[in-house]
Amino acid sequence: MTLEIEPQLLAVEPGYRNVLRVRLAAALLAVTTGAIAIDQLLLRATTLHGVLTALVPLFAIISIAVVPQRIYRRLGYRLAGEMLHSVHGWTFHTDTLVPFVRVQHLDVTRGLLDKLFGTASLVVHTAGTHNSTVTINGLSPERAAEIRDVIREHVRSDVA
Amino acid sequence: MTRVDVAVGGAERLHPMYFLAGLAGSLRQMVGGYAVIGYLAATGRWRMAVLLLVIVTVATFVGTFLHWRRFEYRVGAQEIRIDSGILSRTHRSIPFDRIQDVNVSQGLLARLLGIARVEFETGGSAGDKDDDGALAGIPLARAEAVRNLVRARRPKGCGLAVPDTSDASDAPALLAMDLRRVLLAGVFNFSLAVIAGLLGVAKTIGDAAGLNFLKRRFWRQMLEAGSPVVDLIMAHQVVAILAGVISLTAIGLAAGIARTVLRDFRFRLDRTTSGLRRRRGLLTVTDVTLPILRVQAAIIGSGPVRAKLGWSDLKLQSLAKDEGTKGDHVVAPLARDPEVAAILNELGWRFPEPSVPWTRSSSTYAWSVTALGAVMATALLVCSPAVPWISLGGVIAVAVLVVSRWLCWHRFGYVLEKDRLLIRSGWWQRRLIILPLTSIQSADVTENFVSRYFGTAAVTFGVASGRGYSSHHIPAVLRDAAFLLRMQVLRSYNI
Repeated sequence: MTLEIEPQLLAVEPGYRNVLRVRLAAALLAVTTGAIAIDQLLLRATTLHGVLTALVPLFAIISIAVVPQRIYRRLGYRLAGEMLHSVHGWTFHTDTLVPFVRVQHLDVTRGLLDKLFGTASLVVHTAGTHNSTVTINGLSPERAAEIRDVIREHVRSDVA
Repeated sequence: MTRVDVAVGGAERLHPMYFLAGLAGSLRQMVGGYAVIGYLAATGRWRMAVLLLVIVTVATFVGTFLHWRRFEYRVGAQEIRIDSGILSRTHRSIPFDRIQDVNVSQGLLARLLGIARVEFETGGSAGDKDDDGALAGIPLARAEAVRNLVRARRPKGCGLAVPDTSDASDAPALLAMDLRRVLLAGVFNFSLAVIAGLLGVAKTIGDAAGLNFLKRRFWRQMLEAGSPVVDLIMAHQVVAILAGVISLTAIGLAAGIARTVLRDFRFRLDRTTSGLRRRRGLLTVTDVTLPILRVQAAIIGSGPVRAKLGWSDLKLQSLAKDEGTKGDHVVAPLARDPEVAAILNELGWRFPEPSVPWTRSSSTYAWSVTALGAVMATALLVCSPAVPWISLGGVIAVAVLVVSRWLCWHRFGYVLEKDRLLIRSGWWQRRLIILPLTSIQSADVTENFVSRYFGTAAVTFGVASGRGYSSHHIPAVLRDAAFLLRMQVLRSYNI
């Protein structure tokens, strides 16, 4: 069964796939290097010699080809009424709603990769112990600032 | 950038000497570096030591300078903006309406320089490591101006309730526990942890003395002796085990009673004008007032035996922290239902009807663990010829786990009322959570590859403060029911 994101959800910037790819590649590069080092240095004398060197890079390449695309396809967000709706996760899927008036403060953050691929993250801080921060990754910087301003307006009109 | 910065003032920087105020802290962070330099110097590698010292110093100064250069804050009409970060940038926006508190603090050096550290407290729960918003050092006059601005902008009437202890003491207490009830509460606090600890100690000592009745060698030696003496020793062994169990139980009981009497002696709960005032303690007498407006949720707890006898306890999850690390305020350690109802009534909350139509969760909640348990039990049985005792223990543990999971599933239920959600969970540690819908900060529906196969999902509610995040959780309901429940809970936000 495939789980398609609901039609009214908005997709994030396509550039975010590259962010995911680079991040995964960096993580897998470390694993691959480690595996090859172990194989070449420690397992040279055993019958299993060569298995890790062959399989781990293969696994890494397949992962980089498949996983970011899947993660990206399941990312979505929208402004639903007076709430922020965020959906993410491939094997572990999470669907979060945060009422605007529950927001305490807001961050727009851009890391190095975000700058490289033209994306930004919106981080919403709530008072809840669970979900103290809700993050929407892969927005364009303008869109992130726009959503921030919308939420901030709600926060103001809530108390006034 | 097409940001609308109309309402935001000009960019301001920290005082150039801000880092001096936090110098002690950053020097402490570098303690590892100095240890290495000291080691190099002590072993006579002077060139390396000097080189490292130069690198560390330069790196610190360049880092501090870049941080200062890239840190900007703006005070707007509605909010404070803080832009920070050398490579990865964060633009934080703190609306004035959400600022609970402004701290202005000055260390010794800061006072000499006339600068101050300003911290904004918003009530965000991201934890201590992430300051809600802090300006590490700005001129004192500016700090006070910012604080006054925030105070002026703060809406009236949402300040902290001032705890008043001047209540009329002749009014009857909401709940007062006499010594008998405190002792009874102590009996229910029977400490399994103490018993487990003592068993461990007893076993270790027994091993050292070579008298471990769980070892086969011990029994074989006993039987090989093959004389009437063995019967006597066997009998003694049984008596010894029995005596051991009884004394351990007594110690566990005594520990529970002692702990409870020390904590809850002369427990008294009063209603004051703005909150609930709790006084208790034998040696350390505590007097805590809990503002009613800050209460987020109520948790009625019980256990199989206590429930049978009609006792329960009541805890309130509040924005104010209780003494110690526990987040929830105990307002009734042991009480009858009418007493709990009276306390809830003071909050303006209704006691849950006994006959509410609970919605059960799906039996996959128990089946998933049962399947896992079956696999583990099979594995243990396969290994049993090699390690019979470990296998037996393992199988018993798995069985206990599976049975308790089924009991929990049997107890579990939730019901959505007009303005609140009730969640009933646990079999051994029973909890009934009363969660007003207005306390809900966020709501998650989560699925994973296992639950998706069964067509179920879990709903988790974010609630401010307390240890609650494991408890405001509804596991394993049908997927559609999960989404529907969340919609209904958040319906006041016009989805």
